[in-house]
Amino acid sequence: MTAAPYNYSYIFKYIIIGDMGVGKSCLLHQFTEKKFMADCPHTIGVEFGTRIMEVNGQKVKLQIWDTAGQERFRAVTRSYYRGAAGALMVYDITRRSTYNHLSSWLTDARNLTNPNTVIILIGNKADLEAQRDVTYEEAKQFAEENGLLFLEASAKTGENVEEAFLEAAKRIYQNIQDGSLDLNAAESGVQHKPSVPQGGRLSSDTQPAKEGCSC
Amino acid sequence: MDQSVAIQETLATEEDCITSDRGHFETLVKAAVRTWHHKVAAFCFICVIVCACSVRLFIYTHRRMAITADDVSLEDIFPVSRHFEVVEVSSPDELAILGADTRIRVSFQEEVLEVSLPFGSHSRFFLGELNKAWSDVCKSSSHVPKFEWLHKHSKTTGGQAVIKQSLTPLGAKMTKLSKQTGLSQRLHTPDAVAHSPAHQGTRAGPEIAARAVQNEWERYGTCLGEGGAGREDRNDMVRSSSHTPANKAQMLSIPQFGLRDNLIRCELLKNEDQYTHLQDFSFFLATYNVNGQAPKESLAPWLSCSSSPPDVYCVGFQELDLSKEAFFFNDTPREPEWMRAVSEALHPDAKYALVKLVRLVGIMLMFYVKREHAGFISEVEAETVGTGIMGRMGNKGAVAIRFRFHNTDVCVVSSHLAAHIEEFERRNQDYRDICSRLQFRLLDPGCPPLAIMKHNVVLWLGDLNYRISDLDVDHVKNLITKKDFETLHNYDQLKRQMDEEAVFEGFVEGDIQFQPTYKYDTGSDDWDTSEKCRAPAWCDRILWRGKNIKQSTYQSHMTLKTSDHKPVSSLLQIGIKVVNEEAYKKKFEEIVRCIDKMENECIPSVTLSRRELHFQDVKYMEHQTESLTLFNDGQVPCQFEFIQKLDEPTYSKPWLTANPPKGFLAQGAQVDIDLEVFVNRSTAPDLNIGLEHIEDILVLHLERGKDYFLSVSGNYLASCYGTPISTLCQLREPIRDMPLPAVRALTKGGESPEGGDKPLGIPKEIWMMVDHLFRNAIKQEDLFQQPGLRSEFQEIRDYLDTGVPDSLPGSNHSVAEALLLFLESLPEPVVPYSFYQQCLDCYASATQSKKVISMLPQCHKNVFDYLAAFLRELLKNSDHNNLDVNILATIFAALLLRSPTKQDLAEKRKTQEFFQHFLVQDLS
Ligand SMILES: Nc1nc2c(ncn2[C@@H]2O[C@H](COP(=O)(O)OP(=O)(O)OP(=O)(O)O)[C@@H](O)[C@H]2O)c(=O)[nH]1
Ligand SMILES: [Mg+2]
Repeated sequence: MTAAPYNYSYIFKYIIIGDMGVGKSCLLHQFTEKKFMADCPHTIGVEFGTRIMEVNGQKVKLQIWDTAGQERFRAVTRSYYRGAAGALMVYDITRRSTYNHLSSWLTDARNLTNPNTVIILIGNKADLEAQRDVTYEEAKQFAEENGLLFLEASAKTGENVEEAFLEAAKRIYQNIQDGSLDLNAAESGVQHKPSVPQGGRLSSDTQPAKEGCSC
Repeated sequence: MDQSVAIQETLATEEDCITSDRGHFETLVKAAVRTWHHKVAAFCFICVIVCACSVRLFIYTHRRMAITADDVSLEDIFPVSRHFEVVEVSSPDELAILGADTRIRVSFQEEVLEVSLPFGSHSRFFLGELNKAWSDVCKSSSHVPKFEWLHKHSKTTGGQAVIKQSLTPLGAKMTKLSKQTGLSQRLHTPDAVAHSPAHQGTRAGPEIAARAVQNEWERYGTCLGEGGAGREDRNDMVRSSSHTPANKAQMLSIPQFGLRDNLIRCELLKNEDQYTHLQDFSFFLATYNVNGQAPKESLAPWLSCSSSPPDVYCVGFQELDLSKEAFFFNDTPREPEWMRAVSEALHPDAKYALVKLVRLVGIMLMFYVKREHAGFISEVEAETVGTGIMGRMGNKGAVAIRFRFHNTDVCVVSSHLAAHIEEFERRNQDYRDICSRLQFRLLDPGCPPLAIMKHNVVLWLGDLNYRISDLDVDHVKNLITKKDFETLHNYDQLKRQMDEEAVFEGFVEGDIQFQPTYKYDTGSDDWDTSEKCRAPAWCDRILWRGKNIKQSTYQSHMTLKTSDHKPVSSLLQIGIKVVNEEAYKKKFEEIVRCIDKMENECIPSVTLSRRELHFQDVKYMEHQTESLTLFNDGQVPCQFEFIQKLDEPTYSKPWLTANPPKGFLAQGAQVDIDLEVFVNRSTAPDLNIGLEHIEDILVLHLERGKDYFLSVSGNYLASCYGTPISTLCQLREPIRDMPLPAVRALTKGGESPEGGDKPLGIPKEIWMMVDHLFRNAIKQEDLFQQPGLRSEFQEIRDYLDTGVPDSLPGSNHSVAEALLLFLESLPEPVVPYSFYQQCLDCYASATQSKKVISMLPQCHKNVFDYLAAFLRELLKNSDHNNLDVNILATIFAALLLRSPTKQDLAEKRKTQEFFQHFLVQDLS
């Protein structure tokens, strides 16, 4: 047995973004607690949860930030994108408007995270097939055009929830393995070795020591 | 302050206090040996004391600042030995607070003490030293700390004067101790110790005084009598796992001592029965004192006597080689010879793998398993301990192998204890030495060394050398002939010593149905006929300790004649904890998930009484406050703070402040936070024209936790205050009667949008105030010197902004102040910023100064002239209003000639001199 067989060796920071009411908080809750919250209040702020997962045989601690989806908080929630290794971009398959807004969310995600941040598109509320307003195919196409991972999931039944987080983690892990993700970069969103989760100031994210990142 | 000096004074010269720390007692967790409740939360010093090679932790209470030895008194001593443990724990209350005390739990056998050490590097250093000392002790398995030196702490007399004097408080206690000696001695005896937790628990106060030292005696006793029966039968890890969920999570975030790992390990251990089931395996145990002989005959009759092949073989030998070479160089050809002999004699119906062989001079142990079980054997370690000549050499002693079989930890010992009939005490001592000195060092450096008794199953075999006493040889032989082994057994020293719990506590031996295995004439079944003619004895024995063990056979093997001993064997059926992989995985996931969950629950959290705050009709220079309540509904205390958003310099807009902006909130506590709006001259201009709104989102951040957004909204009532002169000149109506876009257009464009009306010469607001003062206050004493009333200012402001009521309200002083505030609020001063430098350049010349003023924009020039004229009028009445040129220049220059940057004193003078030119009466 190795010295620390149960411990995690990586921390990945995730953010969950998307319009209000698409089920971001429910996805997080389902992922961390395996429960569905039927009447989840709007998130007015940023919450976070953690869970340790096994990714390709490695224990990885996911530190997930769930942001407020309401438009009026948009400017503030932008502060939280920085340093995310993964972004879950969520829409509601029963509300087309939430799908239509994806491009603006995607713009934010691309502008405010680093180029290696793995973005996964999630069509939530897949359990409400009867009320479907966005087809799987068109969303799949959107994801492909933009180089996103894609899954339809349900925070209610739990379907694909685990997978969504895992798929992103696998991709991140793969990026680490093939060297395209530089762990030393301050904004990689990945920490090697366990360390204290940093709630930190929004603005005091560690500055890259060397090259100024102008992304 | 370093208390080490005071403490060092209490110590003898050879004792050295390496480090000490100040702390206070928390709770005493299950202080089985005694209660210390009178000391709860008392302050203490905790010191690492070294003497020779042994290390102790001394606990002192103290008074004052502990300047001299008189101020400290020794309360307790924890030997830093293998039974000692110090772990860091944290209470939920201290969670998430950086700078919280470090709480440690010190334990020694049944005793547990929790002490809080102050946050900081000193405590870190202290713990570091303590850990170092502890691991040093654990590493030197050959080294037994000698505790004798401590005895002087228990003596009232003797020792240096220093000690006596310095231990005055303790000295008093010692007197009582001497009366207690009887008790403490009795406590040594097994039956008293056996019930110690309950027994000790009932002991009352008066004895407390004597305890510190008495405990020391007890510990010393139990330490030697390793594996005292008083010990609860559980693993250390389980013991250290009794934390609350909250502090488990706390530990997770601070990777220390591999806590998360330990936590999972303990949880797994605690729930072992949920994923393991017992399965019987047969263990064939065998022991043979071969008297230095080489193998001469097949061992099959001894080792293959069971009908079916056993799962495990543990075969022990003693006196494998009696030569000097073996003794001095621990090297012997006998080892391979006997190994081969054993391997060939194992049960023919199965294939066996030799997992481990360990030998110390003539004491050897071999451990075989059936091939198919080999994969379930792990963590195999072997150790040896010599107890022979000089208490060290390997002519006597033990060898041991530990291993994990499925999920059960097994330790097998083969020992050869001291010889001679009268030496049974010596044998007991050998046993205790073996127990305390034989420690397995595990691969994982984080794990403390493992003693024999920490194993689930201990199998002990060997030539224990206990004899039959108090019976003459003939009597013995007679009983043997009659096969009355039961009677004979009553004279067996081992049985007697075990009955007295002087040795092999907790061990079981099966009924002996075979004749003594010692001493025969070699090559025969005849009792010793040599000169010494030794009485027969059951020297060779097999014992076990642990649960779920049944003995199937226990026998000697008379057919083997190589030695003066007969070999002995025993077949045990041992219930081994076999892991159900499925259930294990499930349990493991469950525990990990549970720890994740605890971690999530321990994320600080609060509820806010409101998330939206509305400020209705905010006015210039008028405070408005809205409150909200923060309630800590989380499982941990939290630290909150309003934090700034990305790229913003402050946590809120400049017109908004939160009070308090940060703070600490205990669990279940609440705090009211006031959000206060105040619009001043720097924030008013943009609000007046709707460029800025009463709107903001505050981010309330919890340290290591969530962020909450607070929405602030409201409306601002436009005011002439903070509106440019040029705009006001275009407004014939009060500003509040004008549509906001119109005002904005005026301010931005500067030109009248309506085009029709000619702009006013000066803002009507200035005219109203000045005219009012001119008519009512020209002789007002101390005008512009005495402050107005705030409430009247608000009325005046409202009047200027709305035209209601009909006339300007307020006292002369209030109007005067309102005028000053107005001038101050102008976004562009009466002398615009761009003219400021010119004014400074020509302040010395009246004509030049006048020239500069003549170049001002028309409305500004008008205001300037108007005010100057008014002030000159005031000066005409200086007898009444006490004003003079100096006073007015000082007041008004600061308002009319404002610097676009910071103004220094010299500049200020120049502006005043500049303005004075305009206050001189005959200028025009
Ligand atoms: N049927 C169904 N309802 C869901 C699902 N996920 C979320 N909901 C419901 O959708 C509503 C909104 O879910 P939230 O998780 O609060 O949405 P959100 O994205 O966090 O919203 P904001 O916090 O306002 O940004 C809740 O009433 C949920 O019960 C789902 O998978 N299926
Ligand atoms: Mg939400």
